[in-house]
Amino acid sequence: MQTPLRVDPTQALADIATFQRKLAAGMANLRNMREPEYANTPRELVYSEDKLKVWHFTGHGKATSKTPLLIVYALVNTVWMTDLQADRSMVRNLLEQGEDVYLIDWGYPDGADRWLTLDDYINGYLDRCVDVVRKRHGLDAINLLGICQGGAFSLCYTALHPDKVKNLITMVTPVDFHTPDNMLSHWCRRMDVDLFVDTMGNIPAGLMNYVYLTLKPLRLNQQKYIGMVDILDNPTELENFLRMERWIFDSPDQAGEAFRQFIKDFYQGNKLVKGTLDIGGQSVDLGMITQPVLNIFAEQDHLVPPDASRALGKHVGTTDYTQLAFKGGHIGIYVSGRAQREVPPAIHQWLRQRD
Amino acid sequence: MADPANDFIRDYQALAQQSWDAWTRQFQQPPAANPFAPPPAPAAGNDMLERTLAGLKGYFDWMQAAASGGAAQPATDWRQQLQQMFGGASQPFAQAFGGIDTAGAEGFSRQWQSWLQAVQRGGFGELSGLQGPTPAFGLNREQQMQQQALATALLESMRASARYQELIQRANAEGMQRLQARLAEPGRQVDSLKGLYDLWVDASEEAYAGIALSDEFRDAYGEMVNTQMRVRQLQQQQTEQMCQQLGVPTRSEVSSLGERLQALRREFRANLADGSADHAGEIMALRRELAALKRRLADRPAVPAVKKRAAAKPAVAVKKAPAKAARKPTSPSKSGSGQRKRK
Repeated sequence: MQTPLRVDPTQALADIATFQRKLAAGMANLRNMREPEYANTPRELVYSEDKLKVWHFTGHGKATSKTPLLIVYALVNTVWMTDLQADRSMVRNLLEQGEDVYLIDWGYPDGADRWLTLDDYINGYLDRCVDVVRKRHGLDAINLLGICQGGAFSLCYTALHPDKVKNLITMVTPVDFHTPDNMLSHWCRRMDVDLFVDTMGNIPAGLMNYVYLTLKPLRLNQQKYIGMVDILDNPTELENFLRMERWIFDSPDQAGEAFRQFIKDFYQGNKLVKGTLDIGGQSVDLGMITQPVLNIFAEQDHLVPPDASRALGKHVGTTDYTQLAFKGGHIGIYVSGRAQREVPPAIHQWLRQRD
Repeated sequence: MADPANDFIRDYQALAQQSWDAWTRQFQQPPAANPFAPPPAPAAGNDMLERTLAGLKGYFDWMQAAASGGAAQPATDWRQQLQQMFGGASQPFAQAFGGIDTAGAEGFSRQWQSWLQAVQRGGFGELSGLQGPTPAFGLNREQQMQQQALATALLESMRASARYQELIQRANAEGMQRLQARLAEPGRQVDSLKGLYDLWVDASEEAYAGIALSDEFRDAYGEMVNTQMRVRQLQQQQTEQMCQQLGVPTRSEVSSLGERLQALRREFRANLADGSADHAGEIMALRRELAALKRRLADRPAVPAVKKRAAAKPAVAVKKAPAKAARKPTSPSKSGSGQRKRK
């Protein structure tokens, strides 16, 4: 059989020399590179409590939508994925479409937040944030956009407080946690979560990041950085790369009790779809969600498999359910060029038809 | 003659001193990587950068080795060639998936071995638990039991880590097999080192995903985490005891306070909400009462007022009555002022 390895020796040596040269030159670029800033779309603080802040984004023009949109992000990682950089900002894009955008920044929990439960987050913090926005606009109900774990929170919230939510959008939100391709769920199935939280207290961000990296260890620990060498001589691309690195690793610890409940009830118990979930003594029934629902998920999502999100359609009580599959991954759905063209306009169109 | 009381105090003080020494030695240990422990504080500025980029050296070394003795050389057996490039002990990717985990597991073992050595030096005696549980008695009975439990937990943790590592190695081996299978596909041809590397990454990630989603891996992963947590928990218990002896507040005390504080905050908010609800009800009741009173007042004949003021201002009393009546929306013709407002 003929060998499939047809690497030209001269070309191989040239590749090595190029790699070496780029690496050496790139070191100088990296040393001079400052910490990349996020997009920092102009915003005003409208509410704060403990470490939580609610931001209202101020666009150039007046919002055309009648109902404000409150973004509920996950507790994992920071909310700035939604406003990463000027040309990759979901928030900025939504503003340009005419939406009136608010965002909950959960902050960085510390030891004082160790005992915050899901009830504290959903029926406490989130409910008060919704009330603040409702009051500012003199409305009974507002639009919610829940992202990832924040989507699961938004589902619980809407089921428990249906009068306060007009339209619900979920993005890359896990609903059925027991689909066979859910690696995170698979791994934590035999974990003694009580022992884990009792021992660790709050769950360190570094540990969370470590687990995420081991989902695709070669791609995320090695191949990505080898690819970085190719952009070391391009300051703009290098800055974008480092900004993403900042976002990935500048992440908050997880409040111990909320983590315990989330792993036990969602990941291990899959109670959201079983209808056995209890938040603060109240049963969470997805059938109670009768308002319009737009469910957006990513087809190449390695953290929240598409089937985990698709399951929502079978469980919500609404007759106005829309599903949007995005060709990309868990992060690309916010920051890729395709996402900028497709996702915010789709959200705006869908909301406008129901405003 | 020995003074038992003084001996006891002296012994206790010596023990406390030894415990303190053991405690301080913990801080002198070099930081060890542990996947289930917070990472060490990042080095400032360019040190961190250089460490990150140092990881790329492995790739660079592999390229050099592959170019000089592997892919770029004509060979009759390409499978053997591939094995040399990716499977040799000297190549940088032999521990591809295990890279972090192996370092982490080693770090974990090293950390706890250091801990055990420190504890032994600190006066807690021999760790008989390493040879299996033995009966404990006397003044230090509890410490002996704890040491045995810690030693047992440590061994279990090492076994669990070894089991996990076996699966990681299996992923490595299957990755190689998949790479060979891909290269054996009809028409497949690789003409650059980067292309070969990317193909190897694809094959290895596929192999890893298959194993990582198996029941065997799930059980091994859970066991590894649980046993490491058990060791950590026992270590925390001993640390807390040292702290108590030294009068240092412990994490469980602080945590307990936090729990109570959070419970109080919940109670306070609930009371506040109940209070607000009560007040809201009370305000609504008062408003209803006020409205009823106004209606009753409006329905009452205005005779006494007219009588009282009749002498002084009879014209005003007469004018007020029609004015009140005009505010009632009795007919469209009387709502002229409202129409003006709308303009």
